[in-house]
Amino acid sequence: MTVVIGFEGSANKIGIGIIRDGEVLSNPRRTYITPPGQGFMPSDTARHHRAVILTVLKEALEQAGLKPADIDCVAYTKGPGMGAPLVTVALVARTVSQLWGKPLLGVNHCIGHIEMGRLITKANNPTVLYVSGGNTQVIAYSERRYRIFGETIDIAVGNCLDRFARVIKISNDPSPGYNIEQMAKKGSQYVELPYTVKGMDVSFSGILSYIEEAAHKMLSSGQCTAEDLCFSLQETVFSMLVEITERAMAHCGSQEVLIVGGVGCNLRLQEMMGVMCKERGAKLFATDERFCIDNGAMIAQAGWEMFRSGQVTELEDSWITQRYRTDEVQVTWRD
Amino acid sequence: MAQEKNMAVPQLLSNVELVKQGAEARVYRTEFLGKPTIVKERFPKRYRHPVLDQKLTHRRTVQEVRSILRCRRAGISAPVVYFVDYMSHCIFLEEVVGSLTVCDHIASTQQSESCQDQELEWLAQRVGQILAKMHDEDVIHGDLTTSNMLLRRGPEDPESNLVLIDFGLSYISALPEDKGVDLYVLEKAFLSTHPNTEALFEKLLKSYTASSKKSSAVIKKLDEVRLRGRKRSMVG
Amino acid sequence: MHLTQELELFPDHRVTQMLFKEVKNAAGLRQSAVEGKINGALINPTMLVNPFQVLVAANKAVHLQKSGKMKTRSLYSEIIFNLSPNNNISEAFKRFGISDGDDSVMVVVVHNKDESELLADITAKVEGRQIPVEDVSSLSDSAKIKKLYKITPQEEKCGTLLDAVVCRMATKDVM
Repeated sequence: MTVVIGFEGSANKIGIGIIRDGEVLSNPRRTYITPPGQGFMPSDTARHHRAVILTVLKEALEQAGLKPADIDCVAYTKGPGMGAPLVTVALVARTVSQLWGKPLLGVNHCIGHIEMGRLITKANNPTVLYVSGGNTQVIAYSERRYRIFGETIDIAVGNCLDRFARVIKISNDPSPGYNIEQMAKKGSQYVELPYTVKGMDVSFSGILSYIEEAAHKMLSSGQCTAEDLCFSLQETVFSMLVEITERAMAHCGSQEVLIVGGVGCNLRLQEMMGVMCKERGAKLFATDERFCIDNGAMIAQAGWEMFRSGQVTELEDSWITQRYRTDEVQVTWRD
Repeated sequence: MAQEKNMAVPQLLSNVELVKQGAEARVYRTEFLGKPTIVKERFPKRYRHPVLDQKLTHRRTVQEVRSILRCRRAGISAPVVYFVDYMSHCIFLEEVVGSLTVCDHIASTQQSESCQDQELEWLAQRVGQILAKMHDEDVIHGDLTTSNMLLRRGPEDPESNLVLIDFGLSYISALPEDKGVDLYVLEKAFLSTHPNTEALFEKLLKSYTASSKKSSAVIKKLDEVRLRGRKRSMVG
Repeated sequence: MHLTQELELFPDHRVTQMLFKEVKNAAGLRQSAVEGKINGALINPTMLVNPFQVLVAANKAVHLQKSGKMKTRSLYSEIIFNLSPNNNISEAFKRFGISDGDDSVMVVVVHNKDESELLADITAKVEGRQIPVEDVSSLSDSAKIKKLYKITPQEEKCGTLLDAVVCRMATKDVM
């Protein structure tokens, strides 16, 4: 029996989760929400995390009904992500690992998403679409690495959606992406927007700059509603994501797709991916907002895998890094 | 004015040999007006909004056809276009008979026992040259992979032995950034498909640099794009 | 002598090409065509490289006719127009159609199964010697063709003249 606690705080969510042999015992989380029109800045985010982290830690232990002695390993997000928030969380993880006398494990955030997705959905060997505010990658496992087949060559799709939300002052509560999704459901007119796929990669800065510039004009001229823009933006960027996922699947001969990351909560994206999968006779796997959105349990799960395969992070190696490629990690727990 | 939907092409395709079903298009082989022909059919993608799907499919069909002619005019081999049906989005192309993809060629050469370094180096050099020529024409392929290059087995002028195909994502651009990304796409596809070929790809780039008049700006952009993946700030 | 090809896309349609040289009545033939008395396209063979070139033009013409999208008024004028590398209709007729002083003509007929009657009809109207269609290259004016189609010297290295010509015909709608 192995019990791992995971600490996640690389962006505006701070979450701590506990996993025991594939069972999620607790997974509390807090989100730092900024006013409409504003994004979250590193130092403010770190401040938010510092203020709540000990409370969340207490909740995690209480909800799991465990004491520190019951924990076998302390996992934390080593990166990638925002510097100050990562440091805040790593500091607490290091401290408790010392206090409780438990080994430490630095986990790659993206791999956290993947391993959580695999655990919850039981997908065997899927092509993974990892989409969030900070990342957009199409990943497939091969020979001890999660290889990146396709990705964004500029900004992440979530970033594109979040920044669009700011332009038209959509609320960030509970998240800009969620609100765009709700508005999109009420949109009906499809407005043509730039569509950019380059080989296996995608680019979102073009569509973002186009819509940043054109949105106000289109709205004030009455050409379309904000709902129409949300609808059109989703249809366009999600089509791009489904396209590169399909290309990767065709390349790898894969029959499974797993969507992870905050943007993976979006039901329209799941629906579109489902249609593509159905046409190819492939299966779609997705998780709900508990696990799509950054959370502590996913770090615990990846940590669980790493720990069981014999990995440990020494204190002197327990720094954080803002840039940490998914394919840098040796996936020692799979063959 | 009501325009009849001409079902002639779809009807033909239901009776001919399907060679490949890719993510975007189905490829058939048949005889057309007495010549061995490949028909590339871009079929509707149901996950897309119909207006977007129609626009994209049409655009890619048009881009493919334009780029083929543009390449041929510059002396770059690409299959001859015989006929295009813009309603069913089908392109009837010359079948490059007796050809092998560069992908398969590299794979089989690497597996064979005889000394293959020279053969592969020659190939890398040729590919570099052809891509340089293409970029000097400001044609961006958009989807360079070793499966999108054919080796036509023939005794003629070595100039015509490499044939480029699959120009659906192509466009015209003079920007070094776009050419750099074009090479980046090839590099990723190359290295992920053919293990241990870093040195070979370097030879390809060297050949590209030597053959193109505008290469230094392009290689600089390639380096920048390569780093972007490493340097990208991974948060919103 | 003549060459008949079935159109794969339109299985009950056939295209027959008939080539004549030492033609004495080009003017009369052209007049008959204008009056609609000849059931065929009269093409200037010096602008042809190979019978395949005609087939490509004919196939496209039939396809557009069936879709109601022809650019000219009749199937036969459409065939002539499709031979041209650009979209100027009157120029196409001038260059690819026959002129009064021509001494050779390629007649193209689109028809159903039974041909003999139609072909005999036409052969009777032409005052000239019929030669095998495959010999059209002996009548080709390569220099004129290269100039009109704007074939580049590099292009000739990656294919035949026929390739270059056909490719332009097939892509001119989007260039």
